[in-house]
Amino acid sequence: MKRLVLFLMLVVALRAAEPVDVLVQGAEKLEVAEILAALVDSHKTEIGPFSFWVGRIGSHRIAVSLTGQSLINCTTSTVLGIEEFHPKLIVNQGTSGAQAPYLKLHDIIVGQRALDYGNFTSPVRAVGAGSAPFAWIPVPQRLRDSATGQLVEFRDGFAGDPAALAVALRTSNPMGRVFAGVIGSAHEVNLELDRVRWSAQTFGMDVEEMESGHVAAIAHAYGIRYIAFRVVSDAPYAGVPFHPQAARATALFTVNFLQTIPALP
Amino acid sequence: MKRLIVILLLLTAVLPAAPVEVLLAATETELQPLLARLVDPHTEKHAAWQFWTGTLDGKVVALTRTEGDPLNAVAATTLAIRRYAPKLVVTFGAARAHDPALRPGDVVVSGSFAAFDGMISAHRDLNGGTAPLQWKILPHAIMTPGEQEKYLPAFPAYEPALAVAQKLTGARGRVVTGVLGSANQVNHEPDRIATLRTQWGTSCEDPESAHIAGCALLLGVPVIGVRVIDGTDAEAAALVTQLLGGLK
Repeated sequence: MKRLVLFLMLVVALRAAEPVDVLVQGAEKLEVAEILAALVDSHKTEIGPFSFWVGRIGSHRIAVSLTGQSLINCTTSTVLGIEEFHPKLIVNQGTSGAQAPYLKLHDIIVGQRALDYGNFTSPVRAVGAGSAPFAWIPVPQRLRDSATGQLVEFRDGFAGDPAALAVALRTSNPMGRVFAGVIGSAHEVNLELDRVRWSAQTFGMDVEEMESGHVAAIAHAYGIRYIAFRVVSDAPYAGVPFHPQAARATALFTVNFLQTIPALP
Repeated sequence: MKRLIVILLLLTAVLPAAPVEVLLAATETELQPLLARLVDPHTEKHAAWQFWTGTLDGKVVALTRTEGDPLNAVAATTLAIRRYAPKLVVTFGAARAHDPALRPGDVVVSGSFAAFDGMISAHRDLNGGTAPLQWKILPHAIMTPGEQEKYLPAFPAYEPALAVAQKLTGARGRVVTGVLGSANQVNHEPDRIATLRTQWGTSCEDPESAHIAGCALLLGVPVIGVRVIDGTDAEAAALVTQLLGGLK
């Protein structure tokens, strides 16, 4: 029996890394740079093309993940990160485009909910009749409920973890303001203000980006707590073009959040 | 004894499953004809996704349910590749034509794959409307070792499997080599379809094939796709059976 237990422990050790408290994600290097700088006693692990850095921030054991942008990269790296590190909380953070006129460069939206807004069915039109995006019918993300076996539609997307949301709303953004809001994800950059307004009115979106809604769905499927922070890096209403350095604000905000959030059950 | 059983159960959960030769990815209804013929079937559930393993026409296979959208398809493919280490991924099922020369029943095999859901619009002022036929394409940027992303308007198919696929016989149409396009979209506007075909070179659209191919590319597993224009589940399954028979 003893030998069997030892063998089992060896297998577990070989199969997966030690669990972490928080999996912190950024799509681009600029989005994780400040978080990596704050990571203590860190070491790097590579799974396929994806890099993870494991260490500590405050009292928490953290895995920082460079996901790459958009659905294919972030879904793959999130599944790998969950399987490898079994986090209690996932924080997805980075840059975004404002979808509402009140937002300014460096403001941060904390995700009350996140959703995929890029899916649709278009009504039939005749040849030569053009294309009418405002008539497209949105298609919500679906997930199979493991208890019932049924596919469930998530029309409003996925709610951010209430406890993490509360802590985030008390966290300092060193470069701008902080609001609770709705984060929309798709592989799109929308600069037509009528379509920006349509997205805000249809989905309640405050900002658009390319990962949070997808990662939220995966976290929900695994039953893992989830929160997203998105800094405004471009504001089409105000004519502010993409400012990649804005990523620094959300990364510093994330470090402040990790140093503040109490031990995770 | 109880403790031994618990330990063995734990061991089963953490040990990698036996590798399979082929991973077959499709929607629930598209999988059914193959599941009905699976020899010595076993099933596993993991979070929201389900997998079946067994033998099909002499090949050790795993099947996974994609749910007909990119997110579920990529998640299920990632888990299946991690758990079953397939040598080849096959995405199959029905598709809608982008190429006006395609007819219902024609079979498109993947010369390549295009995830055509990426777009960038130019600035327009409020009340300036939208100009979707002028949107530019935004290819997916696939992460590569060394933390570099590479923008790829198309993902490659595995050529040895493509050579086998090109010899398939369709039940009621031709077999052509083309570009399998995917997005979580159902496009019924002919002008938009024509624009997508011009921009991405797509032969047809379905909800998952190119996203599965992108995931397989990320994880270094070869991939092939077979799609029947307005096809039935039985037609697609029959083509997969032919394909498995032709693979070495």
